Amino acid sequence: MTNTSGLVGQSVKRIEDERLLIGNGRYVADIDPPGVLHAVFLRSPLAHATITSIDVAAARRAPGVVAVFTGADMEEITHPFPPFAMLPDLYTPLYHCLSTARVRFVGDPVALVLAESRHLAEDALELIDVDYESLDTVASIAEGLSPTAAQIWEKANGNVLYDHVDTFTAEQGQSVDAVFAAADRVITERLTCPRQSNQPMETRGSVVEVDPATGHVTIHNATQSTHMLRWTGAALTGKRSTRSALKVIATNKQRRSAFLKGAKDFVSANGDSLKAQDNNGMRSQIKADKSFLKHANLIGIGLLGQDDYPDVFAQDIGGGFGSKGSIAREDIAVIAAAKELGRSVKWIEDRVENLMDGGQAREEDLTVSIAVDHDGTFRGMKVDLVLDQGAYPGFPVGAALTTRIMKVMFPGSYRWEVFEMRSRIVATNKGKYVAYRGPWANETWARERMIDIVARALKMSPTEIRLKNMIGDEQMPTAMITGPSIDETMSTKKTLERAIQLLDLDQFERDRESARATNHYLGLGIASYHEAAPGPPGYWEFVNPGNDALLAEEAQATVEADGSVVVYTSQMPHGQSHETTYGQIVADELGVAIEDVKLVFGDTRRTPFSLLGTGGSRGGPIGGGALKYASRAVREQIVDAASKLLEADAADIEIVAGNVHVAGVPSRGVSFAELIAQTSGDGFEATKSYRGKGDGGWSVATHACIVDVDLDTGKVTFPRYLVVEDCGPIINPAIVDGQVRGGVAQGIGAVLYERA
Amino acid sequence: MTDTRTVTSSPRLVAEAAAGGSVVDVSFTINGIATSVTVEARRTLSDVIREDCGLTGTHLGCEHGVCGACTVLVDGQPSRSCLMLGVQAQGREITTIEGLAGPDGELHPIQQAMMDAHGFQCAFCSPGFLMSAVALLDENPDPTNAEIREELSGNLCRCTGYQSIVAGVERAVEIIKGQQ
Repeated sequence: MTNTSGLVGQSVKRIEDERLLIGNGRYVADIDPPGVLHAVFLRSPLAHATITSIDVAAARRAPGVVAVFTGADMEEITHPFPPFAMLPDLYTPLYHCLSTARVRFVGDPVALVLAESRHLAEDALELIDVDYESLDTVASIAEGLSPTAAQIWEKANGNVLYDHVDTFTAEQGQSVDAVFAAADRVITERLTCPRQSNQPMETRGSVVEVDPATGHVTIHNATQSTHMLRWTGAALTGKRSTRSALKVIATNKQRRSAFLKGAKDFVSANGDSLKAQDNNGMRSQIKADKSFLKHANLIGIGLLGQDDYPDVFAQDIGGGFGSKGSIAREDIAVIAAAKELGRSVKWIEDRVENLMDGGQAREEDLTVSIAVDHDGTFRGMKVDLVLDQGAYPGFPVGAALTTRIMKVMFPGSYRWEVFEMRSRIVATNKGKYVAYRGPWANETWARERMIDIVARALKMSPTEIRLKNMIGDEQMPTAMITGPSIDETMSTKKTLERAIQLLDLDQFERDRESARATNHYLGLGIASYHEAAPGPPGYWEFVNPGNDALLAEEAQATVEADGSVVVYTSQMPHGQSHETTYGQIVADELGVAIEDVKLVFGDTRRTPFSLLGTGGSRGGPIGGGALKYASRAVREQIVDAASKLLEADAADIEIVAGNVHVAGVPSRGVSFAELIAQTSGDGFEATKSYRGKGDGGWSVATHACIVDVDLDTGKVTFPRYLVVEDCGPIINPAIVDGQVRGGVAQGIGAVLYERA
Repeated sequence: MTDTRTVTSSPRLVAEAAAGGSVVDVSFTINGIATSVTVEARRTLSDVIREDCGLTGTHLGCEHGVCGACTVLVDGQPSRSCLMLGVQAQGREITTIEGLAGPDGELHPIQQAMMDAHGFQCAFCSPGFLMSAVALLDENPDPTNAEIREELSGNLCRCTGYQSIVAGVERAVEIIKGQQ
C-alpha cells in the first residue's frame, strides 16, 4: 500500500486551532436556544444533616421563576441511579438526582430553580427555606473506618462499602505468609495521598432543548460519554412512562428498536465478555439492598415505554480529565425538569459548585509491605488500600473499578513471588470520587515510593534495586503476577536504563554536595511503570470479569457520493486533538489532504455506540485503530472500483492528493467524485470494530524528578524533570509532548498544592 | 450616564424590572462595531459580550477574576470581563478574541504563533491568554521569557503546563519581528 500523505508521525498543526483560536469554538455554554430557562441548584451548606422541612412557596412566586423542584418532586418523576458495576463484596447505595430526606456533603443538591435569567434564579434560591438537623460528620478515612462514626448510608456495613482481598502467587501452592516468613526482611510503610480535584477550565454544563411541537429532547452536554448520557438520561427520567408503559411498549416497536439497536449490537459483539461477569457481585448488592431489583425493572419498563429518546450532542469541551465521564445528578435533574415543563433548560455550573461536586479523586491510604532479601531481591508485596469515595458513588464508573485496576497494576514491572491486596472503600461526607487522569496511578506512586524506602533500608541505590528486580527483555514474554501478559513490544526497563543514562547520577551527587553548601537540599525521585493503553488482550478481564466489553471501539469511514471524506467516531475529544490525529490517520490511509477529512463526533444520531466514549487511554490506539482499519477498507473499495474503471490491476492503483490513478499516469486519474459518478453512483462506506492488534497494549515510562528545597525559605523548585516514555508509534509528537507536559504539571500541582 | 427605561420585549428584562432591578441602555464599541444593548444593571460585561452581543469566544472559567479566561481589552487594557458590569463599558472600546483576525480572516500573529507552537489543548482558556498576550505585545513587542511569564501569570490553564503557551508568545515575537 502506498502511503501517500505521510502525515502520521509528523507534528501536524492542529485542525481544532483553526476554529478555537479565532473564538469560533462551540462549548456547551455557548448554546442558547430561544426562550431557554436558566437552572440553578440549591445546595446543602452542611456536610451531614437530615432535612426536616423544605418550603419553596416564596421561591415559586418570585419574579421570573417558572418552576422549583424539590427532592420529593424529583422522586415523583425520576428513578434513582442504580448500581452499574456490581462486584463481589461491594455495596452501591441508590440515590436520586436531588436529595430529599438527608444531605451527605456540602454541595448536595436539594432543590432546582428555573427562571428567566440566572440572576433571578439565584435570587429565588435565597427564598427557599430548608430546616436541617445536623448529624455527626465523617471527614476522613480514619473516621470512615471507625465503627462508631455516624453512618452515611443506612443499608451499608458501617461506612465501609467494599472490602475485598485478592491474592496472587507466581507458582501454585505458594502462600503469601510463607514467602513473607522466609524473606530476610519485611519493610512496611503507610503512605497517604490527599484528595485532589480534576478542575477542568470549563465547568460542567447541560443545555436540554425540548421541541415544543413534538416534545423531542436534545441534550447538549460537556460529556466525555455521549451514548452513556443518552441511555442514562432516557432511563432515569422515564418514570412517567413507566406508569403508562405497557400500552406504549405494545405500540412502539419501531422507535424502540432504533434506540435499542446500538445496545443490542454491542451486547451481541461482547456476549462472551459480558457472560463472564461474576454473579457474586449481584449477590453482594442484593444482600445489602434488594430494592435495586425493583428499580431496575421499573427503569427497564420505563425505558421501553418511551415513544421517543433524546439525542445527545457534545461539541467543544473545555477539559475534563475524567470528571466529565460521570453522569451527573444535575444532568438528570435538568433533563427531567425540561421534559416536565416542555421547555428548554440551561445549566452551567459555576466554579464553586465544581469545586464542591465536579469530581474529586485520589484520596487513598496505602499500607505497603515488601518482603525482600538482603541482596535486594523482591519476594512479595502486600497492600492494604483504603479509598475515600466521598458520599455518592460516581456513575457509571465508581471508585470500585479503580481498586480493580490498582489490583492488577500494583506489582508494576517487577518480579514477585507473591502479591496480596486488600481493597476497602469508605463513604465520607465529601464530594464524589471520580476517574482522574489515570485513576489507578497511586499504585505507581506508592510502589515506587516504597521501593525507595526499601533501597534506603538495605543501603542500596534506588536505581540498583529497581534494575535488579525489573522484568527485562530476557524474561519476556511473560506475565504479570496478576495475569496480563508482558512482551518485548514494550520495555519499562529500557526506559529506566535510558533515564539513568540521561540523569548522570555522579553529577547529581556532586550537585547535591554543592547545594548543601548554600543550604539547599537536592533530592531525586524515580518512578517506573507500565500502564494499560489500553492493555494487552484479556487485560480488562483481569481487571474485572466482563469488562473486556468496555474496550472495543467501532468507527465508520465513508466517502460520500460527492467525493467528500467523512469519518465517524464515538470518541469524545476534550483537548486531546482527536480531529488532528484522526485526520492524519485517515488522510494517510485514503491518500487525501488532512483538510479534506471531516471527523464527526459528539452526535449520538450519527456516531457508533460506545459505553465509555473517551477515557482509559483508548483514543489513540483503539479509536485511532478502528478508524484506520475502517479507512483502509474504504480504500480497498476505492481501489477495486478504480481498477475496473481504469482497467488496471488493483496493485497498480495509487491515490495521491485525492487523485485515483494508475501508477505513473496521474494525469489520467479521477477524483473520488468522478470515480463514484462513473461507477456505481454510490459512495463508499466501511465500519470496523477494533480492540487492539493482539500484542503490546502497554505504555511504559520512567519519570525522574530532581527537587531543590531551599532550607531557609522552604521554596521548592524543580531543576530537572525527565520523562522517558515509550507509547509505541507516535501519531503527532507535538500533541504527545503536550499531553505528557500537561500531565506532569498537574502532578506537580497536586503534590505541592492540593488538599481538596 | 445611562437612563433607565421600561422594557417589554424580553421576559428576562420584564421579570428583572418586576423584581425591582434596573434595566439600562449601554452603548460601546466592540471589535470596531458601535453597539447598543439593553441589559440588567447587574449584568456582567462578560454576559453582555457573550449573550447580548453573541460573541461567545470570550469564556467564563470562574466568575471570580481568578482564571483569566474572560480577559478582554477595554480601551486597550486587559480587563476581567467577569468582574466588570456591562454598564461600565458605556462609551468604551472593547476588543475580544473575535476581533483579533483581520477583516479578510488573516490571523493575528499571536493566533498564528499559538497554532505553530501547539500552544493549547482544550483551548477553553485561550481567549484570555490571547488577549493578555496581545496587551503585552502592544506595550512591549520584544518581551523576555520572564516578562512573558509575569504577564501571563494572571491566566490559568489546566491542560498544558504553560510551556507551550509561553513558547507561543515567543513565536509571536518572531513573527512580528519578521513582519517589520
